[in-house]
Amino acid sequence: MSTGHSLEASPVGRSAVTRRIGSLLNAAVGYLSLPLFLLIWEAVSRAGIVNTVLFPPPTVVAQALHEWLISGELPSDLAASLARVAVGFLLGSTCGVGVGILTGRISFVARLLGPVFQILRPIPPIAFVPIVILWFGLAESGKIFLIFWGVFFTVWLSTHLGVQKVDRGLIRAAQMLGTPRLRLHWEIIFLGALPYIVVGLRTAVGISFYTLVAAELAGAFSGVFYRIALAQQNMQTGLVLGGLVVLGLVSFLADRAFAAAAARLVWWR
Amino acid sequence: MMPSQYGQAALGSAEPAIEIEGASIVFERGGKSTIAVDAVSLRIARGAFVCLLGPSGCGKSTLLNAIAGFEPLRSGTIRVSGSEVVGPGPDRAVVFQQPNLFPWKSARDNIAHGPRMAGHSKAEALRQADALIDMVGLGRFAGAYPHELSGGMQQRVAIARALATRPGILLMDEPFGALDAQTRSIMQDNLLRLWPRISATIVFVTHDIEEAILLADRILVMSAGPGRILREIAVDLPRPRSVDLAVDPHFLALKKECLDLIRQESRHVFEADEARPGR
Repeated sequence: MSTGHSLEASPVGRSAVTRRIGSLLNAAVGYLSLPLFLLIWEAVSRAGIVNTVLFPPPTVVAQALHEWLISGELPSDLAASLARVAVGFLLGSTCGVGVGILTGRISFVARLLGPVFQILRPIPPIAFVPIVILWFGLAESGKIFLIFWGVFFTVWLSTHLGVQKVDRGLIRAAQMLGTPRLRLHWEIIFLGALPYIVVGLRTAVGISFYTLVAAELAGAFSGVFYRIALAQQNMQTGLVLGGLVVLGLVSFLADRAFAAAAARLVWWR
Repeated sequence: MMPSQYGQAALGSAEPAIEIEGASIVFERGGKSTIAVDAVSLRIARGAFVCLLGPSGCGKSTLLNAIAGFEPLRSGTIRVSGSEVVGPGPDRAVVFQQPNLFPWKSARDNIAHGPRMAGHSKAEALRQADALIDMVGLGRFAGAYPHELSGGMQQRVAIARALATRPGILLMDEPFGALDAQTRSIMQDNLLRLWPRISATIVFVTHDIEEAILLADRILVMSAGPGRILREIAVDLPRPRSVDLAVDPHFLALKKECLDLIRQESRHVFEADEARPGR
């Protein structure tokens, strides 16, 4: 769009008709992106260039998805996965915000926890799968723990940094108006840091979905990734790819939903 | 308009509103310490309007922050109504150079914050906020959020918010410094009209000589590096005052006195640099 605009401003631009077609094409390309991708995939697969058993065309994937849906396993798998993500996300972000406010405001707590957190934070959650199996067995709590782990550090760090960036002027204004310490923290500091916290929460939404893979790898009896792993063992490549499509779609929708919610969360902007 | 109940007649009354004894403030930065305020002693009478005037970096804002309770003293004491200042509190409301309004609250809720913290019910706090927002002439904008208001309007909300705690002392730190000349002059006029209606002692920090003479009963001229009170100038211009005062001969004489003082000080500090008398 912006390119079209700059062309119009140019005195030696193309004719009006070509420009009009150009901008229409620009808009259409966005809508064509997905169908075009599927079409090429279908063509490549059908043409026999690749092994269709290992690389099934979209129509076969769609059929696998359909069977998964009518068997009733897709809704129950999705529900199991979403429940893990939701519980892990809520616990992880609540603790992350709470601890982030503490470390952001109280340097004693920051010095105490900072080094430990900085070492634990870069360890990918998936690396904890072996020990989580030993600790929790196949219980649901182990899977929630992994998602919690992934979410917590991201939210903690963004809260910690956000709290430190809260305008000192706002804090002073609240103090001179007689705001008690506790209220200062949950209102002024929390709301002041909220724009930063929201960015961390949104990143954490994505993280909670890819930690879900690690969580279901630790042993599960239902779930989207559990289904993918099972289908792999049965050579159901259509279902494997279908599972990936569902995973991609659900995390995309969750991100979009969170972005919409975030705009309301920081309501004064 | 009512004459000030707390004007010059109150000067020299028994218990001063603010009593500063040998206050020093030192900043430590990277192993280097700078004396921002050097053993300042002064008394400010209840109901007075005092301006701290001086070039930037002379420690006038630091001294104000110390009265507010934001800046700890290296030595000396600051007493407000007889008790020592140990931290910020609603008896010493502050209007900052930036409005510092809570961006998540409407103008009305910003003003109601102080009364809420003082334990008033929500309804009572909002009633007080509505009265104050009318007083600063922003009744129509009560529901607006800070980002929807101009700089001058935000600063008027900040003044109303400070007054909402019914403070004995109002500390103003170059409150009109960030505004354009036109708005600034309107704000000065508003403050002159507002002051008689509030029973507060005002300490007003500025580097603008005309602003200081227009507003204050007393001007404390400060010098830079380290910050000291250089001289005290009594402004015996009659009230009510207005911005028209700027052409009054007595006003001009006071202005010359301040200018000479600051120019002399600038010459002393910068030696050859005589080009910055107004700063």
